[in-house]
Amino acid sequence: MERSKMILPDHEIIEECRDVCRATVGVYVLTSCYGCQLVMATVQKIMEIANLVDFKCFYMVSSKSSMHEPVDIAFVEGSVSTEKDLEELKEVRKNAKVLVAIGACAVNGGVQSWSEGDLNYDELYASVYGDSKIKYKGLQAAPIDSYVKVDYFLPGCPPEEDEIMYFLSTFLFGSYPEEIDYPVCAECRLEGNPCILIESDAPCLGPITVAGCKARCPSFGVPCIGCRGPVPHDNSWFDSLALIFRNKGYSKDYIRERMKIFCSFDKNLEERLEKVFGRKK
Amino acid sequence: MRYVKLPKEKVCEFLERLKSMGTLYGPKKISEKFYDFREIGDVKEVEFEYNRTITPPRKYFFPERETVFTFDTVNVEIHETMPEGKPIILFGVHACDIVGLRIMDSRFIDDLPDPYYQIRRENGIIIGLSCLPDEYCFCSVRRTDFVDAGFDLFLHLLPDGYLVRVGTVTGHKLIENSPEYFEEISSEDKDNFAKFETKRRSMFTVQGNWDDMRYRLELHLDHPMYMRESDKCLGCGNCTLTCPTCRCYEVKDLPTLDGTGGERIRFWDSCQFRSHGLVAGGHNFRPTKKDRFLNRYQCKNAYCETTTTSYCVGCGRCTYFCPADIQFKENLLEVYGTGGGA
Repeated sequence: MERSKMILPDHEIIEECRDVCRATVGVYVLTSCYGCQLVMATVQKIMEIANLVDFKCFYMVSSKSSMHEPVDIAFVEGSVSTEKDLEELKEVRKNAKVLVAIGACAVNGGVQSWSEGDLNYDELYASVYGDSKIKYKGLQAAPIDSYVKVDYFLPGCPPEEDEIMYFLSTFLFGSYPEEIDYPVCAECRLEGNPCILIESDAPCLGPITVAGCKARCPSFGVPCIGCRGPVPHDNSWFDSLALIFRNKGYSKDYIRERMKIFCSFDKNLEERLEKVFGRKK
Repeated sequence: MRYVKLPKEKVCEFLERLKSMGTLYGPKKISEKFYDFREIGDVKEVEFEYNRTITPPRKYFFPERETVFTFDTVNVEIHETMPEGKPIILFGVHACDIVGLRIMDSRFIDDLPDPYYQIRRENGIIIGLSCLPDEYCFCSVRRTDFVDAGFDLFLHLLPDGYLVRVGTVTGHKLIENSPEYFEEISSEDKDNFAKFETKRRSMFTVQGNWDDMRYRLELHLDHPMYMRESDKCLGCGNCTLTCPTCRCYEVKDLPTLDGTGGERIRFWDSCQFRSHGLVAGGHNFRPTKKDRFLNRYQCKNAYCETTTTSYCVGCGRCTYFCPADIQFKENLLEVYGTGGGA
């Protein structure tokens, strides 16, 4: 049957439903660049979303935002990098039915957690601020699930519009978003790209990075830097990829540094690298 | 079977003729080393000498991603989104890939017809093209190196053109309706065809027959090769996504924001992914990377009744496009034990 034969929904039913069951949504920011909020605020269907849900907190959209109201769905951007972040996160968690970590920082700690495991908080502080004082009590940057229960993860730096829409629409439908547990590498094949890892020995992290971006960077010949973070459920094979990189002539330090940019909080990273390079000094 | 000759100087004109009949797809060079089937704009871009394409020809009949229906939750209706049935002309398909398409047919048409696949396939014209093997090819031991079905026309390289085998009534009509491009074959052409085939056969790095491979594998499911090789594996699924006979797919619903409808999509899945074996209750019948790795070796060596071959057609893609350089053919030979086939 053709799509034109579909009958348009009765708007009164929708209106009636809206009064009764309009979902409340909050979009919150910890330490990050506000890029995730910017993407969320500029999705093509933002006006439709604004009509369908009640935003209790979304600073990029309204200054009438409040962090302290209960919401059905909370999207949290940014890493926990200060005591204030942590307090806010705990409050958001308490107020939310569903909590979604959105973006590289909230999901994996972001680039600010790059030195995790190498430098402690005091060393990092000294290298950035020296003896100066800052107004917040800082913490080592960490993904939000280090502190609270996270129901869903929406990775990316920034996240993809179609994924934001998928998450929102499944929640509003009374369902939930299905998790992706395969790498960018697979999407790159589906996009019809040649493989820059095989062909030009590019240090592409596509094989260990969780898919969803439709291989955005490799599609332009740019090796994946892993911004979406590791494939979940221990399926990010740092060892296998490190072996390939080593055979192509990359040094251990280069490989480790590159993988750590967005994967420093993956519990398998060091162990799997050790399998290839031996124990860390 | 009918045989005619397509002289070299008529090839481009013939391709133009094919292009006028629908959308023409053929092998193109897409990067320094790789080739892929792509839509042909300029017929001069068609690559006649290529080893393998990065994506398999099945994508034209079973796309990477498609909407199978839209749903309307207000009226509780579904609306199937059937393919339009436009002519698809696929030029330059190697013998192994033609068997691959027949294997796809056996799963998508013979048992329980999948209308999406069937409509596209019925509107497809397949033009085969001869090739010379490289070190990754092993169609010879899979009995897929020469096809007698599954194509409308098959072009065998001659020094000055192509010897054309006609495989179907469609193929016959293609020639009947364009007699200006074809000639009768000469005894010299027949000799050259035989010479090419002899040369081709001598070039395969493995000889013999692997019909008993699946039994050998089944008898050695605990072979240490699986652990050693799966350890190198990235679990990226490139082996299955480039495979001409892999056909697992995943289905997902994409509701609209207002909840009044949505669409159901299906897209290529891979047995190398964790979620492939994930079932209700969080159980997984292939929980480890090794389980998934082993599954592909068994599945590809299983028997397809329609083609009487294994599901693996020996195209070499899973090895050539493996970022971890895992050697499928060599690994199979290791388990087989003899190092050279029967």
